[in-house]
Order: sequence, then structure tokens, then C-alpha cells
Amino acid sequence: MVQLTINGKQIEVPEGTTVLRAAAQAGITIPTLCDHKELTPYGGCRLCIVEVQGFRVPIASCTLPATQGMVVSTETEALKKSRKFVLSMLFSERNHFCPFCQVSGGDCELQNAAYHEEMTHWPMQPGWNNYPVDSTHPYFVLDNNRCILCRRCVRACGELAGNFTLSVAERGAASIIIADTNVPLGESTCIKCGTCVQVCPTGALIDRTSAYQGNEAQITPVKSVCVGCSVGCSVNLLVRDNRLVRIEGDWTGPVNHGLLCEHGRYDPMTESRQRITSPLVRKNGQLEPVSWDEALGAVADKLKPLAGDAHTGVAAIASTRLPVETLSMFKELFAGEFKAHIVTSTEEGMTTAAVFAVAERMGAFEGKLDVLRTADLTLCLGADIVNSHMVAGFLIKRALPKGMRLVSINPQAGVLEDLADLALVNQPGSDLSLVEGLKAIIVKEGLGRTPLALPNAARLIEEAVRATGIPLEKLTQAARMLAGAISPVILFGKGITAQRSEHLIESLHSLAILVGAVERERAGLISMKGEANSTAAALLGLDAPFVLNGQQAVFAAIGDDYVSGRLVKRLVKAPYLVVQAAYQSKLTEQADVVLPVSTWAEQEGHYINLDGRVQKAEKVLTGPEAVRDSTAVLGEIAMRMNMPVRADWQQAIRERKPSMALN
Amino acid sequence: MAKPKIASDWMCGCAGCHMSLLDMDERILKVAELADLRATPITDLKEPDASGVDVGVLEGGINNTANEEVAHKMRARAKILVALGDCAVFGGVPAMRNFCGVEAALKRAYVEAESNEPGCEIPNDPELATMTQTRAIHEVVPVDYNVPGCPPDADVIFYVLAELAQGRKPELKDDLLHWH
Amino acid sequence: MKFHRSMVLVSMDADSLRKDAGAVYERFQQELSAFGLNDEIALSQIVEVGRHDILPMVIVYPEACAYGPVSSDDARRIVEEHLYKGRVVEDLLAPVKELSGRIGWLKSRKGAAPMEKRIVTRRAGRIDPENIEEYISEEGYQALAKALGTPAPQVMEELEKSGLQGRGGAGFPTGRKWRFVAGTKSPKKYVVCNADESEPGTFKDRVIIEGDPHSIIEAMAIAGYCVGADEGYIYVRGEYQLAQRRLERAIEQARAFGLLGKNIMDSGFNFNIHVHSGAGAYVCGEETALLESIEGKRGEPRARPPYPTTHGLWGKPTLVNNVETLANVPPIILNGAGWYRTFGTSSSTGTKAYTLLGNINFRGLIEVPMGITLREVIGIYGQGMKGGATFKLAQTGGSSGSIIPASLQDTPMDFESFRKAGVSLGSGALLVCDESTCVVDLAVALMKFFKFESCGKCTPCRVGTERALRILTGISQGKGKQADLDTLIALAAEMEFASNCGLGQTAAVPIRDTLKHFRAEVEAHILLGVCPSGVCEMSAELQTA
Repeated sequence: MVQLTINGKQIEVPEGTTVLRAAAQAGITIPTLCDHKELTPYGGCRLCIVEVQGFRVPIASCTLPATQGMVVSTETEALKKSRKFVLSMLFSERNHFCPFCQVSGGDCELQNAAYHEEMTHWPMQPGWNNYPVDSTHPYFVLDNNRCILCRRCVRACGELAGNFTLSVAERGAASIIIADTNVPLGESTCIKCGTCVQVCPTGALIDRTSAYQGNEAQITPVKSVCVGCSVGCSVNLLVRDNRLVRIEGDWTGPVNHGLLCEHGRYDPMTESRQRITSPLVRKNGQLEPVSWDEALGAVADKLKPLAGDAHTGVAAIASTRLPVETLSMFKELFAGEFKAHIVTSTEEGMTTAAVFAVAERMGAFEGKLDVLRTADLTLCLGADIVNSHMVAGFLIKRALPKGMRLVSINPQAGVLEDLADLALVNQPGSDLSLVEGLKAIIVKEGLGRTPLALPNAARLIEEAVRATGIPLEKLTQAARMLAGAISPVILFGKGITAQRSEHLIESLHSLAILVGAVERERAGLISMKGEANSTAAALLGLDAPFVLNGQQAVFAAIGDDYVSGRLVKRLVKAPYLVVQAAYQSKLTEQADVVLPVSTWAEQEGHYINLDGRVQKAEKVLTGPEAVRDSTAVLGEIAMRMNMPVRADWQQAIRERKPSMALN
Repeated sequence: MAKPKIASDWMCGCAGCHMSLLDMDERILKVAELADLRATPITDLKEPDASGVDVGVLEGGINNTANEEVAHKMRARAKILVALGDCAVFGGVPAMRNFCGVEAALKRAYVEAESNEPGCEIPNDPELATMTQTRAIHEVVPVDYNVPGCPPDADVIFYVLAELAQGRKPELKDDLLHWH
Repeated sequence: MKFHRSMVLVSMDADSLRKDAGAVYERFQQELSAFGLNDEIALSQIVEVGRHDILPMVIVYPEACAYGPVSSDDARRIVEEHLYKGRVVEDLLAPVKELSGRIGWLKSRKGAAPMEKRIVTRRAGRIDPENIEEYISEEGYQALAKALGTPAPQVMEELEKSGLQGRGGAGFPTGRKWRFVAGTKSPKKYVVCNADESEPGTFKDRVIIEGDPHSIIEAMAIAGYCVGADEGYIYVRGEYQLAQRRLERAIEQARAFGLLGKNIMDSGFNFNIHVHSGAGAYVCGEETALLESIEGKRGEPRARPPYPTTHGLWGKPTLVNNVETLANVPPIILNGAGWYRTFGTSSSTGTKAYTLLGNINFRGLIEVPMGITLREVIGIYGQGMKGGATFKLAQTGGSSGSIIPASLQDTPMDFESFRKAGVSLGSGALLVCDESTCVVDLAVALMKFFKFESCGKCTPCRVGTERALRILTGISQGKGKQADLDTLIALAAEMEFASNCGLGQTAAVPIRDTLKHFRAEVEAHILLGVCPSGVCEMSAELQTA
């Protein structure tokens, strides 16, 4: 800890804290524009300069580490004058005319800074220079005329998303923000995560979907969770007049720390599927709108006689994108007294069954994504994380320039090839041989961190080379890199888990122990799971394969999920199909009864992400009039069939051992 | 003691700031009580008293030689000059044409616009004032108080006029300070 | 090494090469073999050392005869007549006056410059820079040997006692900087030589490197030994192709001789040097921008503190020294602090290299003791104002330097006296202007440069340079207003107060000084619509208005 004095106030902060942060802790506001708490301090805008005793010139407080005994002033006349001058310079530099700017009136940090300094005008003549506007991007516009060159976007693109698309071209007053080698943003390497828009302090990067629909000052953001995938990013939902205006990453989010990917930020904004607004029942071959009473009656009438028939009765399937409340109710309804033949999820346990079966015996062994923050090597097996779980991918990509190495082994060619230090292609189905081979090489070369007896190492290596089709030298290289790392992390995806091999998972676990990825204090072994509630579905045991075998009816709870063509093909074989969904799809077209339900934003619910965080999504929108909560619909069906169900999901998910610590 | 005299005029603006002034509703009576409202676009007197006024209010930026005259005259005759609204304070919307230049703006409006008949020309009657770059008032004559806003709220205008009429210095901050 | 009775130096810089110096050099090779003189006479290449109109130039030692321009046929005559028969070829000699060229060594031989003392340029032009043996024969690497045999703190103490101050412009005590870096605890440290020399008109570092590259390598090795670094970088201005080649060559030779690499001179000290080319940005001469550039990033100055001495190259403690500073180190180590303090003043010791430019009779490089006056420099070394014109002002230290009016001509040129006078010594460029120079025009030219070279990172510099140029251009065109001067002063004050680095902090110095010393002349542009020097083109329309 160091003690310093700011404006006469004694403050104690941990060593390495900047003066700007130290001041904030003490409740002293120092205006700034280029600083952002998630980004490396830059010291460019010069708004935060302070006077420090012993220094000839004032110093930017955002980059200045507090030192013992430092005496700082932030409100001298010279500093106040300088701040106004700097703001005048910024305002007059480019087109910073407020009345026709989207962010004016609350969202603009430049304008807010001027208010803070009580400026009624800027005394300098504007520059009237024209700078390029780039509107080629599908989601946002880059207007260099509104830019104050704080480089937050450039830093966010590189430091947070690890993408390095944005940079600065030219020098001095001619500086502009560009993508790649000055190509249109829409044709650049941009991965459309929108982090740059979220950090932009002015209207230089503005969002198309939320343009002129109101700003944060008028709309209270609601904290919620994204259901795009199993990462479980925390989001702020901006809603106005029952309409989603914008989605922003929550900087306090425990998993994403403010980041979102294209899907999380923009998919819900560009939803184009047709909403189902009334219960439908097939009559004379046609789906016709009916009352809820009639629809639920039809379902209960059809299903009730099939209760208890564990063979030719009902097959029930639920989406892993549904909240755990719904999944739990679904399980209670069909797996309980009803004894349906199949009760599973749309993932059929492809991403979780083997992992949870191993956990059943071993207890929790998976870690938290946070381990990536300190990892010096990441091994990705059977997963294209950068594309399948983009925000987790950012955590990897942004660590690469800081020296983390990446090894990818995948049956599919090209996976992570551009990013990885070593990308190998193994034969499909050879993963067990691969993992055993890697272990054998490490043991043979004496590189293991923990003792492991492998008497048949030579044979295992031979077998690995034969089965994987990877030359020995490459396998050895991968093994040495893995064993040489101080804090390695192993991530594996569907390519591994879909094999449903407990042996493979156990083998991976022992590799992780051998190389020190899993140690007493550290768990650097994580499976990526599938959709938002894969983990919850697994905890509820909804992980059996879905194979229809003469069942008379199928109940499909889809919610607002997308339905794959493969699933549709299998489901429509059923003689009677009940679909509970929010949007029209090929599946609902084929259904006998369609029950319209809420989307993720229209009902409260919990989601358990890939590393076991139980997070709540809030109800922020009111759905169309005839649409009902997906949990309530299941409850009513149960009631109509006279089968009482408990509604205690928290209890339900504790019935199975989790593969990771839940929190 | 005689009531202080207030005069106002508009230049390159949209009259919105004067509309906002009227938005103060019955409080305008209070202003009238405190001050003597002289030449304004509302009262329809054409120019501020030659003998001078205490407070001169100008709306709009300066974008031609006629506006320059208005500004200079108001400055010369008013003890205190108030720039009212974003156009007067910053140049505002009309100042956007500075990014392309007067010539290009006139050409676009009078020659190239889709609604123009073929053969249209930029008006060149010598009686017309000469177009210039659009400027904030403080770039042409010294301004005592800048009151930003597009338009400034009636509350803000009332506050400023009432303070000035009572010989106090208005201070714009917090809720009274808005640039848009 | 071999000893030669004579040495032939052929100028091989870009200008000379364009004028076929390559063929001249080859012809010398052929003719020397033809006359069987290869063993007796050394042939080598030097940088251009004279005026542009006598290139390619050939200098023959020990007579110090300068021939030029020399064609390849002349080469044969020089070999036959001068080297073989011992008769100077009078008709090919360059006029004596022209010999007072860029390297003042030739001039000083004639005894014209009593004050001139050469330390950092003592070998430039005298030895073959591509031959390490010649360097060694001139006390080369003896300082390194001496240093390696002395405890590092003692070496640094000697340096500190010498009073050597950084020659890059800021004048920070070199010994103290070394001790800062030596005092940091880090297994990895770097020594960086700043050879970016980007101030317009400065070329002292270029002459030192091109003429005496080993002196820098030796000094960096000594620095590495003292501060505990095992790796060095020399950041060379991109345009200095020859300097880069010479350095690379010299590093190669030093390695071959065991003077770089592992276990130097059996001392257990390891040191290696890389040469890194700049790419033309002025701001990369600023030490932290330079470090960013070496790291492969955009050349933008970092925020300080933390300083490079603790967080430098790749975050490691780094010693950054200018070329001229380093070139002073070996002689100090070798001859002692006491010897060094005999040059210059008590507060600013040693010599300083200046490049003289502008309206004076001699333009080129001089090295003189600290503390001589501007009047002496112009009168003696500059050989007076051109055409007997009247001195108006001088600018020290390149674009960002101070404007010195005639009234300050007699201020001693050393760090302390200049600081007291409110001006700065800068990096060593001395631009001398006579009455035909318009201060507004000069300010416009300087501000154009800064607007172009500002990196754009911080607001005051980025906007300030652009604004100042706009206003100054207006004034030079007769469109200025009296209020513009207040705006200029306010801009200058803000840039100096709030900018991130030296570029922004000093970019407005010329404006500030101009308005301080020549305000009347600037006001004449505004109020009268005339340029007293008749340089600025005033807009006729506004003149009458």
C-alpha cells in the first residue's frame, strides 16, 4: 500500500494504482475521455492532467502510478483553465455540433465533460475539415468527423477482443480511425462484436439498430444474461416502450467483463422470424387459431391416456436454451409419474453426457474460464472456440500477443490455424489415441509434472501416430509445448464430448494432471458445452439420445430456440406432435398443436453457463397478448392431466453431481 | 428607476429559440414587469433603440453580410449581449454548410436539387446580401452571455432574462446547461 | 594491422555516387594495382566532406590534399603523379576555400579556429570507418578495456564527475541516468542509442556514425557493463543508409574481434547490439516513441512517469543515450573526468557539436567547447554573415528550438546560461538568419513541419499545431487579426502546459519567442498589411480593406 495526498485528502491505495483511480476511490472526480477502466491507460486526451509536487509539468493522472508521499492537486486554476482549453480544442477540431448527434443528451462523454466544466460554448473557431464516414458495416457506422482520437476503440479491438482490426492511419491532425489497411469496415476482418461502439465516448462509432431510439439517460439498463451460447455473458438490456433498443456488455460481468459477440449483441436486434401469436390446433389438415383452453384441452386429452406407457407412449424433448425453471418443470412433468419413454434435450447430451458421467464418479473436475487470464498455453481439442464460443475466444485471442501460446488439434482442417502456434489435424475418432499418445510422450521424455506410470508408453506412441495420422515429430512438439507450459489450460468441445466416451474424458483429465493444467488450486480443464443451458439440462439428466421407436406422441418444448433441419426430420415422424415455441418454423408447420410461449427477454429465468455460474435473465419485455410463459404452460398441462408437479428447480438440479463447482 | 430595456432579433436561425421564449407562458408577464420589452420579432419593432438598450438578445448564427450588420448594430446598442441558442452560440445547423463551402451549398440548393427546374441559377441580384461562412456570434462581435440549447428551454430563457433584468449575472450550470 | 605510407579517401555518399564516385573508386583500385602500390597505399571510402559542387572528392593523406571533382581519368593521374611520383596534381586540387567543408578538421589544421576542440569528431574523416584496425590504432576499445577492469560504480562515478550532460537536447546528467538504470533490479536491461537525429538541420550524429562508428559501439558496451545490460539497440534515422551500413559492418567486425558477444575480453561480460532503422517520423526521435517503434508499434510517445530508466524497451529498464553523448564516453573513461572538465564551463563541461546553417559564409559541422558565444560562432566558425548582412536571429536546436534575437548574441552557449536566458540549447542545429528573413514566414515553415510531424496522440499538440498553422498562414497572407496573437499565445501556453511529450511542449516555442522578440514585425503584417522583409505575399484585396 502507498499513501498519497490528493487535494489535501490522505488516501491509501495498493501499489500500482493510478492517481486517477486513487482519486476516484476517494470520491474525487478527475474528468477524462480516453481512459476506460477495462483498457490500458493511454494518456492522450490530456483532460485528466494533474499537478504533482516536484514535477515541472502537469502529468496525466490516468497513466501516473501513485507513489508513497505523492502530493497531487486536481483543481488548481491552471488545471481548470487547461481542461476547458483542451475541451475547446476537441470541440472545434472536428464536427462536434451537438444538436444533430445521436449521442447528445446523456450518452456523450465529451458533452458531459463540457457540462462538468460549466462551459456554455467553446471559444475557438471550428476547423471545418472533412473526414471520411464509413457506413459499410451492417451494425455500426464509423464517422471520423465525430472522433476525438482517444483510441478507446483501437485499444478495445486489440486488448479486449484480440482482433486488431481497428487502428490509426496518418499522423497529427490528419489522424483517422481505419480498419485493417484502410479497407471499408464492412469488408474488413471485423468480427462484429461491437465492443468498439460500446467504448466510444462520442458519436464516432454509432449503432445502427439503436440509432435515435433514445439513450442511456432516458433508458435504465437492466442487467440480464445472454442466452446465445453456453458462455453466459452478462448484458445490459436497454428497453424503451416494450422494445429492445440496444444490448450492451456488462462491464461487471464475471465471465465476459463487458464483452459480447455479434450473436449476443445483435442477433436479438435483428430477429426476423415470424412470431406465433395464438395457440394453433390442426383441424382438417390445417393449423387453425384456437383459444388456450381448447389447445391445452387437446394436448391433455391426447397425452393423458399415454401416461405410464414407458414404451410406446410419449417422447419429450426440450431445448437447452430454455430457462432452468422450464427445463425442471418439463422433467417433472414427463419423467415423473408420466413415465415418458424418452425425456431429453435437443442436445441429447452430446456436449455433457460423458463429462457428467465421469463427474458422477470423480466429483467436480472442471474449472472456470478465468483460468485463461493466467494461462501461458491453451490446448483446444475438438473445438473451434473462436467461432463457436466467441467471447471465450476473445479471452484466448487477446492473450496471444501477451505471449500465451495456442495449440489446436482437430479432425477438421483449418480450425484455429491462423491463430495457433501449432494446429494439427487428427483422423476422426482418434482422440483417445491422441491423448494417450501425448501422455506417453511426456512420460517417456520425463517431462510430466506429476508421476504417472505408463509401462506401455512406446506402444501408445506408436498407436497414436498410426491412429491420428500426425507424424511423431509433430505430436512430440505438441507434447513438449504442453509439458513446457507453466500454467496450461485444456479446452475441449463437441468433437470430444459427442463421442460419449467416459474413457476419453478420464484420459484427458489424467493428461491435465500430468502437465499441471489441473492442480490443487487450479482447474485448467473445461468442456465448452453447447447452448445457454446445456449445464442445467445435464444436471437435470436430460441427456439421453432421442430415438423414436413407435411412440405415439412427441412433445417438443422449443421456446425461442432455432430448430435444426435434422431435428425437424426426426420429430415429424411422430404420429402426434405438440410444439411449444415462440417463433414459426418448419417444425411448427408440421405440428398438430402449437403452443405460443415467451422469448428469453419476456420471462424471468435462470441459466447455468459452461463453468457452472447460475445466472438470472430478467423479464424486460411483455410478449404478445396470447403468448404465455413456457414454465406456466407446462404447469397447466400437468394440472389438466391431474399430475401434480413440484416447481423447485433449485432442488431439482442438486439431484446430480455437477462436473464443476456451481456458483 | 426606469425598467431595463430588452431588445432581441434573429439572424441565421429557425426562430425556434423565440418560440421557446414564448413557451415560458404566463411568466412572460413577469419579464414584462421586470423589463421593458423593446424591439423584438414578437413586438415587430424593427431595430433596437438608437438610444441603446440594456440587454440585447440575438438568435441565430451569422451567415451573410446582412446578419453581420444586425450583429454589429445590436452590439453597439446593447450594454449586455446575449447569444441565444446553439446557432448563435456555436453556428448550429446552418454551420454544417461550412464543411462543404458556401458555393457548393448554394449550387446544391439552387441548381442541383431534384425539385429545381432545368436552367436554375444561384440568385445573383446585387440587392441580396453576400453569403459568408456561417459563424457563431462571438466570432464576429464580443458576446457577454452564451445561452446554448436547440432551443434553450423556456425555463433557461426565463432564468437568464429575469436575472439580467434584475441586474444579476446568470450562471448556467447543472440542469440549466444543455447544448442540444 | 598494416601501415601505409599514404591513404586515399574517396567520397562515396549518395551525391558522390550519383556523380560516378563508384567508377572513380574502382579506377583507383585498378591503378593502384597497376602501379604495384597496393601494399603501400590504403584506399578507403568516406562520406562527403566538402561542398556539393566538388564531388566526387578525393583526399590524400598525410598531405591532406583534397581533389575534386575527380573523374575516373583524373584518378589515374592522381595515382601516377601524386602517389607514384610524389607530386601534387595542382590543377585537380579543389580550391582551398572549399576545403573548409563539413568536416572542420581540414580547416582546423590551418589554425583558423583557436577555440575548436575535437572530442567526438576527432577521428571522423581521419580513419577508415569500415576498418576496425584503424579505430583500434587510434585508442579504440582501450576505454572499454579500462572500464571492464574497473568496478562499474567507479566507472559511473568518473562519468558523473566529468559533468557530461545529454547532448540530445535536454541536457540531463548522463552519469546520473546511468546510475538510475544500474540501480534497477531486473535480469534484463537494454541500452539504446538514439541515432534518429530527426531535428531538421542537425547532422552531427550522422557524421560521428559515418566517420567513427566504433566509438558508439564501444560506448554502448561500456554502458551495458555499467548498468547491467546485455543487449543494445541503435535506432538509426531511416534516411541514414550509409550510417546503418557502417554500423552493421562495425558490429560485425567488433564481434569477430571478440569486442562484442560473449565474455568480452575475458571479463565474463556479454553484450550484443542490433541496428534498427527508423522510417522517417520526426517524433520517433523522442525516446519513448523510439522505444515503441523498436517494439514494432506505432511511433507514439508514452506517458511518463514511469520513465524508460525503469520501464523502457519491452517494459525493462532501459538506458537511452544520444549518439554524441555516447561518443563522449570513451575519451572520458580513458583520460579521466579531470581532463574532460578542462573543456567548457564549470556547469556545462566538454564540447558541443553544432551544425551551422543559414545565411552565413561557412555552413557545416563544428565542435567547440561549451560556453562560447553565438557571436563567436557566427564570426569565427561561420566566417561572418553572408554578403555582410546584418544578423537578425538564430534558432538553436532545430525546429523546436528557441529563437535567439541579436540581443542574446553574447550569451555563452552552455546549458545553464541558456536556461537562465529562457532559451534552450537543443540538439545542436544553429540556424542563422539575416534581415531578409521574415519571422512570420519562418514561423509558418516551422509550424507546417510540426503539424505534419505531430503524432496525433494528445489533444494540445494535435489541435494546437493545426490551429497555429492556420492562424500564422492567415497572418502571412494579410488576413490576420490582432486577436489572433492572443489566440496564438494561448495556444502556445496550452501546448507547453498540457502536451504529452517534448514535441508538443516545444512546438510552440518558436511562436512564443517570435512574439516575445519580434512582435512589432508580426503586428506589421496584421495592422499595416505589409511584410517588412518583403517575403510574405500579402493578399492585395485585404491590404486595401
